[in-house]
Amino acid sequence: MSEAGFDGFPHVLGEWLKGKGPDSDIVVSTRVRFARNVRGFPFTLKATPQQRADVLALCEEALHKVHLQRSIVTLELDKLAEVKRDVLVERHLISRELAGGDGPRGVAYGRGEMLSIMINEEDHLRLQWIKSGFDADRAYQALCKVDRALEKVLPFAVSDRYGYLTACPTNVGTGMRISVMLHLPALTMKEHIDKVFKAAKHMNHAVRGLYGEGTRAFGDMYQVSNQATLGRSEVQILESVKAIIPRILETERQMRGQLYAEDRSFLEDRVLRSLAVLRNARRLNVQEMMSHLSMLRLGIDMGLVSDVPMRTVNEMFILGQPSHLQERQGRPMNPTERDTARADMVRAMLAAHSN
Amino acid sequence: MDCQCCNRKPAQVRICDVERNECAEPFNVCPDCFTLIKRYMFDMARPLMPTADIIREVQSLLGGEKSLALPDQPGALAPLGVESVPACPECGMTLSEFKARGRFGCARDYEVFAEHLDPLFERIHEARPPRHQGRLPQSAGEPELVTRRRRAAELKARLDAAVAEENYELAARLRDEINGLEKAPEKSQETA
Repeated sequence: MSEAGFDGFPHVLGEWLKGKGPDSDIVVSTRVRFARNVRGFPFTLKATPQQRADVLALCEEALHKVHLQRSIVTLELDKLAEVKRDVLVERHLISRELAGGDGPRGVAYGRGEMLSIMINEEDHLRLQWIKSGFDADRAYQALCKVDRALEKVLPFAVSDRYGYLTACPTNVGTGMRISVMLHLPALTMKEHIDKVFKAAKHMNHAVRGLYGEGTRAFGDMYQVSNQATLGRSEVQILESVKAIIPRILETERQMRGQLYAEDRSFLEDRVLRSLAVLRNARRLNVQEMMSHLSMLRLGIDMGLVSDVPMRTVNEMFILGQPSHLQERQGRPMNPTERDTARADMVRAMLAAHSN
Repeated sequence: MDCQCCNRKPAQVRICDVERNECAEPFNVCPDCFTLIKRYMFDMARPLMPTADIIREVQSLLGGEKSLALPDQPGALAPLGVESVPACPECGMTLSEFKARGRFGCARDYEVFAEHLDPLFERIHEARPPRHQGRLPQSAGEPELVTRRRRAAELKARLDAAVAEENYELAARLRDEINGLEKAPEKSQETA
């Protein structure tokens, strides 16, 4: 299938969409993020356009000094078309806020799309590392290397009392946020998801639906992340996330087992109907695509579907998003055209794997 | 659903009070009202209030108003802020603006608003005392560009003083030094 790629983008998607790694039956990816600000400049909110340009230049220079520049792609976002910025958002390389912001700002990301460095987001620097599966330790260590290299050439705003100083009081201290993306269809179907939310909150972690608004998550994708960044060390934060995630995984697996044991044909019916829709639909909106992909993913994990690789499911998740579709077609499309293009793409990607 | 605070705009934000880990019935409000509600929530000068009470206060505040164009005018809600705290000399952030936006403007704010921060951080991070436990960077000094600009600003202040004292010899020397400092960054901007 032809791939009208984003210029400068590799045709394959990032490492985190591999569908591999520890606990990848439930955990899609683990992301570690550090918030950093350059000493001597106001935070982005209060920085003049000149100061933002200075920060951007200093950060690019620093990346050059630590020899990161050869292996990364650097984009100045104020010079990039809106649809291309949205493609970066859909690939989880930049935030919606950075895409929609104004003034000099940029992103630098590794070719494997594991490392991404946002410049002039709410903080001058947002460093993040994404790994597929539940792999907090390695994501953390990889990001530390980048952080430690940068701090030798770029002075960060810190205080002894409060650690790394950030624009938002919720990030001060370590500036570290670990977010684990989880696929929790059984907990959602069994309506146990609220209990998970409450338990996580009790342990000082936040749970939110990754797509969709409020508590209703599209595609049964949720994100669990640490809330506190001050008063505990990086390692303590890491340990607390590593303590809570296995508990969620265990309940999800329990619920999956229950669904299977109680009413196997119901589960098979849901999964195979979803696959039938994906294989045959002529129009698919995002929400519909995501909910059927969620069932397909569950079917693959439970051994009910064997001829679709997980990587393909993950790719459809991203390539079926509105900006990726439009970028692929090379033109803006109205919602109906997008629904048609999405259905065509999904059918083609699944046909490549049917026997 | 309409905003449960102003009853006019569509609700887009849901607020839940949590007590003993139980979520109470949520309130649905519009972003404009939420901006106002947030100020009460993060106002350290007040005890924690249930959302229902905050909404009642905001409603009485909005009572006679025709529009909700308040958010851009921090002064409009002056009684909530603690206006005795001076604005940050570096970025101009005031305490009430900080409370309204929930964001710091620069690193200096952490010193300027110091006495208001511990209770806030304690609540957000559930950390007592709210002190940094992690690592700190072993970084170099501030960027040369900043040093240069800071130095130029200092020299300008001295230049003004020298002119006021009619010490023209010193003033001329300072002027040359400032010119020298300001030339370098201009050049680097062109190549950037």
